Amino acid sequence: MLFSSITFLYYFLPVVMVVYFIIPSRFLAVRNGWLLVASLFFYAWGEPVYVLLMAVLVVTGYFSGRAMEKVRSLNINEYSGKQKSWDKVFFFVAVLVQLGFLLYFKYTDFLGKSFSAIIGVSFSLSVPALPIGISFYTFQMLSYLTDVYRKAVPAQRSFLRLALYISMFPQLIAGPIVRYTGVVKQLENRTHNGENWALGARRFVLGLSKKVLLANVLGELCATFKDSGDKSVLFIWIYAVALSLQIYFDFSGYSDMAIGLGRIFGFHFEENFLYPYTSRSITEFWRRWHRTLGFWFRDYVYIPLGGSRVPKIRWFFNLFVVWVLTGLWHGAAWNFVLWGLFFGLLLMVEKHCFLKYLEKSRILAHGYVLVAVLVSFVIFDASRLAETAGYLAGMWGGGDWPLLSGEAVYYLKSYGIVLVIGMVGATPLCSRLVRRAESTITGKKIIHLLEPIILVLLLLITTAYLVDGSFNPFLYFRF
Amino acid sequence: MMAEKKNKAVIWGILLYFLGFSLWAWTGRAKEESVTERRKLQQLPEWSIETVVSGEFMQDFEAYALDQFPARDRLRQIKGYVSHYLYGQKDDHGIYIADGYAVKMEYPLNQEGVIRATERFQYVYDTYMAETDVKLYFCLIPDKNYFLAEQTGHLSMDYPALFTLLEEKISKMKHIDIADLLEIEDYYRTDIHWKQERLLDVAEKITTAMGRFKQADYEIKMLSQPFYGVYTGQTSLPLEADELKYVTSSTLEQSTVYDFENQRSMAIYDKEKAKGRDPYEMFLSGSLSLIQIKNPLASAKGELVIFRDSFGSSLAPLLVEGYSMVTLVDLRYIHPDLLGRYLTFDKQDVLFLYSTSVLNQGETIK
Repeated sequence: MLFSSITFLYYFLPVVMVVYFIIPSRFLAVRNGWLLVASLFFYAWGEPVYVLLMAVLVVTGYFSGRAMEKVRSLNINEYSGKQKSWDKVFFFVAVLVQLGFLLYFKYTDFLGKSFSAIIGVSFSLSVPALPIGISFYTFQMLSYLTDVYRKAVPAQRSFLRLALYISMFPQLIAGPIVRYTGVVKQLENRTHNGENWALGARRFVLGLSKKVLLANVLGELCATFKDSGDKSVLFIWIYAVALSLQIYFDFSGYSDMAIGLGRIFGFHFEENFLYPYTSRSITEFWRRWHRTLGFWFRDYVYIPLGGSRVPKIRWFFNLFVVWVLTGLWHGAAWNFVLWGLFFGLLLMVEKHCFLKYLEKSRILAHGYVLVAVLVSFVIFDASRLAETAGYLAGMWGGGDWPLLSGEAVYYLKSYGIVLVIGMVGATPLCSRLVRRAESTITGKKIIHLLEPIILVLLLLITTAYLVDGSFNPFLYFRF
Repeated sequence: MMAEKKNKAVIWGILLYFLGFSLWAWTGRAKEESVTERRKLQQLPEWSIETVVSGEFMQDFEAYALDQFPARDRLRQIKGYVSHYLYGQKDDHGIYIADGYAVKMEYPLNQEGVIRATERFQYVYDTYMAETDVKLYFCLIPDKNYFLAEQTGHLSMDYPALFTLLEEKISKMKHIDIADLLEIEDYYRTDIHWKQERLLDVAEKITTAMGRFKQADYEIKMLSQPFYGVYTGQTSLPLEADELKYVTSSTLEQSTVYDFENQRSMAIYDKEKAKGRDPYEMFLSGSLSLIQIKNPLASAKGELVIFRDSFGSSLAPLLVEGYSMVTLVDLRYIHPDLLGRYLTFDKQDVLFLYSTSVLNQGETIK
């Protein structure tokens, strides 16, 4: 079920909320139970059979975590006198199960096709459809298992709480990747109050608007570009800008909705996006873009590999591994590997050579980041590498593209305002203006008066767009 | 204190909004069809274990929730306003409004489609007319975008290239140019088609070119109900209704029409259809593969065969006066190989009457 669907907004969500808040707050376990039931229903709505897969992963994770703790408490190592560490065995078995399913569902086809291309023999492997959100909930479970294995947190004794941590519908299918350490206390005890509710609702409505009123509209422009038989250099640039904004508003909109819904139910999820397009280096960009994924790779891959406190060659290798994995996490295709490597390479060069120059000129730094990001998303969106190479060359005047075309000019005029709104919306300008207005009593009064009206209006307009249109994909849905 | 009040306002505003619309959606009576969109609306699906496991129930429910959402038409209008006035988008689902006319951007020129159409015409000629004395004519009906795209800055197909292509491919036919007689006012505001009551000069030019012009005493009548054309549902912007008029004469009143597809006789103008989903279907009952109009008052024997699309339905009655029989063939609904069962070509006038929109989607021609 999509957040940006009539079914979710007007059928599912009201029922979940009403029942949740009817249950007295002292019965938190019952509220958690209701949220779990609702989350399973939410997941089953899109892919009924895969609820079983999620159940297998949760059961494996739960019992592995408990087993790790149990063997430690029994101190089997000392009793047996052997060096074998049984908690390590349970940890690796559980990790293998989690990764095994992810590999099977997400990467079998890609690996098969790549192997087939290498050996020059054509064959295909039949794999069922990719379970929605598998990358997100697998990573959440891996973080839990690793944290328990590292003794950073005790294993969860309540199956219900662990199942809820993995399956909670606000963040189930498109993140943010919630770390167990970040929500474990909230699973046991959390505050529900009007302020949380209002802030959560505001965040949800703004996220929904970003998704429906910006990302979807810009997505139409990108689709038009791809279907066009009248491409030009200008049109490729328009596409690159629209695509970068679409991906940003799509994913950050979803994160906003997830964070907002979480807040309504008393959870505080980590921020996933902090105006990444205002960054002055790619290093900064990745501290602002999909932060929960970046932190996950940092804590569970990069640092265990040795991070940067290793010889230079090893450091390059560590970066290479992290960025290939980051690329592959986004999709099982070579363009995603390239996309990851592109960023890995930029980070290496940036840290080694020109970070100090970027610090000297803001304009240069912003320009460099924006161009790099535009190029990266053209790679990201590739359906065929050759076609993408053509677009990338075309951006810089290569290939046979004319400078202008009738379609490019028409669509620039038609989507110009949306593009400008998108560009401004991707910066903190609006929130700064609101904060500045709120610094005076009159401004504060006006803002406070307008906010509820604007939120309801936004809801009405997003609903109007949903009712009218069928173009409503979620780009990060299948990761 | 002020923040607390604001929070309360946000909570109550959003709660009331959601609960209001949700209750309305849950308890509202499901509509059978959408008048503006001219389609049946999804009804609440029945569930079974099979449909739930396969996901079919969920898909149908999503469609149901969208189709049956309360105030759907009003909300679509809101979307239209935002898209047009706030975002300044130049078209809405490929349709734009200029001077009150809803116009579809026919774009780009689909050369393969046009060539495919001309190849099918050639096939019909080779199969039935090659060794006969038929006289071949061709008429191209420009779409509304032809008149408005340039002045409004919208995309349009390359019309000169289309005309050149047609002249190249169908050189056996005599081209009767009617484009110079037409202007945007000759078309409905809300529909793709032209207005019959404004086609008398077009009919005169065509029949004169075929040597069959006969003066007639036409009378224009108007139906009382407003006419909302096909674009009303395709664009979310509000449109003013058209008037639906038709042209009649003593000849037309006494002419008989036979529908080969459904093996029935019918009237030239079906006023019941004017009350239906597509009022334009009142002209010769809409999309039919093969129909024949017989004119008992014809002074001389003469037969006209029109290969046509839906534009022909409103023009054909105005060509009847000079012929004893007019046959209309829609190659989108009947394969040319079947024509021999119903028609024998010898010395008829044969008119290929097609709109640029249909030629540009020539793949639809069988």
